[in-house]
Amino acid sequence: MSYRRILAMVIRHLYVWPRNLDRLMGSFGWPILEITIWGITMSYFQKNLSNSLSIVTVILGSVIMWQILARTQTEISIVFLDEVWNKNLINIFSSPLTKAEFLVSIIVLNTIKIIFTILSLMIVGFFYYKFDLISSFGLYLPFLLLNLLLMGWSVGFFVIAVILRFGYRVQELAWAIFLVTQPFSCVFYPISVLPSWAKSIALLLPSSYLFEEMRNILSKNPINMNNLYISFSLNMIYLSLSIWFFSAMFEKAREHGRLVKLN
Amino acid sequence: MGLLGPNGAGKTTTIDMLLGLTTPTSGNINMFGLPFEINRANILKRMNFSAAYINLPWSLKVIENLYTFARLYEVDDYKEKVDKLMDEFQLTNLKDKRADELSSGQLAKLYICKSFVNNPKLLLLDEPTAFLDPDVADIIRKIILKRVKKTNMSILFTSHNMPEITEICDRVIFLNHGKIIAEDTPDELAQKIKFCKVRLLFLVENNKVKTLLDNYKYEYIIDNKETTISLDERNVGQLLGRLSLAKLKYTQITIDKPTLEDFFIKVAREKL
Repeated sequence: MSYRRILAMVIRHLYVWPRNLDRLMGSFGWPILEITIWGITMSYFQKNLSNSLSIVTVILGSVIMWQILARTQTEISIVFLDEVWNKNLINIFSSPLTKAEFLVSIIVLNTIKIIFTILSLMIVGFFYYKFDLISSFGLYLPFLLLNLLLMGWSVGFFVIAVILRFGYRVQELAWAIFLVTQPFSCVFYPISVLPSWAKSIALLLPSSYLFEEMRNILSKNPINMNNLYISFSLNMIYLSLSIWFFSAMFEKAREHGRLVKLN
Repeated sequence: MGLLGPNGAGKTTTIDMLLGLTTPTSGNINMFGLPFEINRANILKRMNFSAAYINLPWSLKVIENLYTFARLYEVDDYKEKVDKLMDEFQLTNLKDKRADELSSGQLAKLYICKSFVNNPKLLLLDEPTAFLDPDVADIIRKIILKRVKKTNMSILFTSHNMPEITEICDRVIFLNHGKIIAEDTPDELAQKIKFCKVRLLFLVENNKVKTLLDNYKYEYIIDNKETTISLDERNVGQLLGRLSLAKLKYTQITIDKPTLEDFFIKVAREKL
């Protein structure tokens, strides 16, 4: 594995990031817009409903964490799609860059971008709604963030693999998949309110355990560490499977000449 | 080395396989004496590629594109080397322009410049001058030839422009349906076609000419005043003698020797 090739891919996308409005909106604009909308909505609820002392905190925390997960997954897929849209995929994969280096470069790039997204959400959350992400989650914050990133990477790699298999026609999946997983991730409500069939799906998602415990942390309820361990274990399994799936689909695309046609 | 063949012959597929973009259905690829599948990165570091049908990221500046690929190929002192290349390709004054601000000619130069960024031992060029006007195509060819002389690199070159292949390539492989049909120098391949074309401008009526050519069963085309006769070049003297005996006077005569294009057309049609 060559750090110079990984760096090449990271810097190649960082060149574009600050000067492309779409990418900037993805990292800052849309997350800030969503937190603003939800914040206003929840402020209204707080003023008008009784027994809703922590509802703003819980919802804001959920929105921030969901944004981190959604942006991670979308950004991962878009880095790949960007090479396809630019007809640059052949240039990239005819260079000495390996599959592993490509995936690591995406992870590094995504981590850099998501740090800026988190910082912007923390600042807006604090100045608009007095929501302090660090003190709200305390020492659990790094663990929660790591798990969100792990899940985002798994879903992102899965989407890339599906695009490698089915081509352009499934590129919408890059944006649609997190909307599909949101109801089962139980971002704004506990797993217990789901119907039993949906509960079975939710229990397979690392995000449902994370959001469950995140609400417990924000509401100062006792924390079930088992849920955090299950979430981490599921994430590791899904990440390994998604990398394997990406690798298998990449090789299939090479065998059938689809990698070239995708360009 | 030129890679020739009709559409669908397998030229681009061959290049894709050599770059590891497509897996061969059977057999193995060895390059620089190494098996490709287990030495992919090592082999690709010594190669580069450009084609008419690929782009570089539009939103990156010229210099950013070249830096990106220099890093991908792990070029040492890449900034210095990219600066020299940009000078050579007359891209220095465009270095801060984004790729989407360049003209087709400037883009073609950038793509070729990118393919030289790691000073490759083997360069694969798939129709690099397709879609370019003759002037820009000529500039690109001259740049390629200059670099080849300077660095002694090998080039695998595909094109449908036969004079271009003749100008650039020392040897040619002719492919059809994924199989090698012929391999030789461009001149030797052209000489495999025994027929030449004799073009004549007659002073007499076309009917008289037509009668004579029909009598001797020549293959010909009459286009207004010009008559083009295809025949074995050894029989040109005999043709001229027959015309003289029949008192068919002409004011102009041109003899076209067979070209690589004639070979291409003949072989492509035979093998269809």
